[in-house]
Amino acid sequence: MLRQRIIFTLIYDSGFFSQSRNFRLQKVGDITWLEDNYKFQDIAFSLDELVVLNATRGNKNILKFTRMLNQLVGDVYIPIAAGGGIKSLNDAKLLFDNGADKVVINSALYKGQALVKEIVGHYGKQSVVASVDYKNNDVYINNGTEKIDMSLQEYIDYVESIGVGEIYLNSIEKDGTGFGYDIDTIKQVTGQVNTPLIIAGGAGNEHHLMKGANIKNVSAVATANLFNFMGDSLPNAREYMINNDCNLVKW
Amino acid sequence: MKVAIVDYGMGNIRSIVSALKYIDIQDIVVSANEQELKGADKIILPGVGSFAAAMKLIKNKNLDSILNEIVMHQKKPVLGICLGMQLLGSSSSEGDFNKGLGFVDGSVDIFNSDKIIIPHVGYNQVSIEKPLRLYRNMRDVLDFYFVHSYKMTSNSSIGQNLCQYDEDFIASFELENIAGTQFHPELSQMNGLNVMKNFVELF
Repeated sequence: MLRQRIIFTLIYDSGFFSQSRNFRLQKVGDITWLEDNYKFQDIAFSLDELVVLNATRGNKNILKFTRMLNQLVGDVYIPIAAGGGIKSLNDAKLLFDNGADKVVINSALYKGQALVKEIVGHYGKQSVVASVDYKNNDVYINNGTEKIDMSLQEYIDYVESIGVGEIYLNSIEKDGTGFGYDIDTIKQVTGQVNTPLIIAGGAGNEHHLMKGANIKNVSAVATANLFNFMGDSLPNAREYMINNDCNLVKW
Repeated sequence: MKVAIVDYGMGNIRSIVSALKYIDIQDIVVSANEQELKGADKIILPGVGSFAAAMKLIKNKNLDSILNEIVMHQKKPVLGICLGMQLLGSSSSEGDFNKGLGFVDGSVDIFNSDKIIIPHVGYNQVSIEKPLRLYRNMRDVLDFYFVHSYKMTSNSSIGQNLCQYDEDFIASFELENIAGTQFHPELSQMNGLNVMKNFVELF
């Protein structure tokens, strides 16, 4: 049976990993801090996938980001999706060459359909994760700063029509709150999509993750909460979910 | 032990290199060069993306006849991964009808059901139902990472082991020196690393 997945998302901002709350970033620590607090070589057994997003405002310095990525993902044998500010096929290639198995695309979906199609042409649609940030029923691009002229439902249809491998749906309102996922909207979207759906925004503990995973047609539950899942929290959350009949791999 | 990864411009080679290093393979070449491929002990054919685009790149680099010589005549062990596995088969209906390398009897078609979400992405279970070299000394039900929209089936006995996503399809096969995995062993934690180790040691 196809399993559900737990995904950990790392938010990167100019050399630091950050905690995001409603898309406002608070720097937490650099890669040394991260490696001290999250040993991915060990906790990879509590995870199914890693997403690494360059949320740096302004100039994203993709070269510096890819160097960090390369260092981060050595000896981690689960899929890595990376993105943030991809503006050309070469940007995508840099990420693929430095440890990404998939790229995450957000603003370019809306602005540069041609680029997305170019990436899909080279790497296949399964290598492209479409990141969709929303608040209420509105969709925002550029790190949640720019509202676009499509409703969430219209935009999801549009994204599926381009042809992507997965959709990463993130609630700006729930982001970093630890109050739980935006269940109502997620249920609406799962009723609409025919693309694997990753949900993000709001998970602060194992109960939230489980509640999200229990929604029909949710492929994966993601959390970017750096504070709530340190140390044994992630292994414990996974164990709790497995013990409660969540369909996760027992690594 | 020298392992060559065929570099025809498609596929995430970095993860495979890193997995090979983990299982202690130090001598790794990434190449499309005939001499370098012939000089290796084992060959890995990676691949993501579209079947037709991959075959075109392979033919442009004359890799179809080079691989035919190495695999079918020299009988050097080859492991195809994901699209790389599909390319070892006879044909695919992705896009238009396309011929594959034809080393084993297997055809590739889209998942055809409105009951499932495509692509098939995530970890799925594979039951090991007969003694196969790829899974030696492993448990009999294992999870591996899949990400694909097209699946391979075969009417012949090619040492196939099946996975299920609404319908049965080939998760792996092994026929003499030729092996393939639809899943990504390099992205399947210890399960996948063990499969790679078995390929390197037992083929």
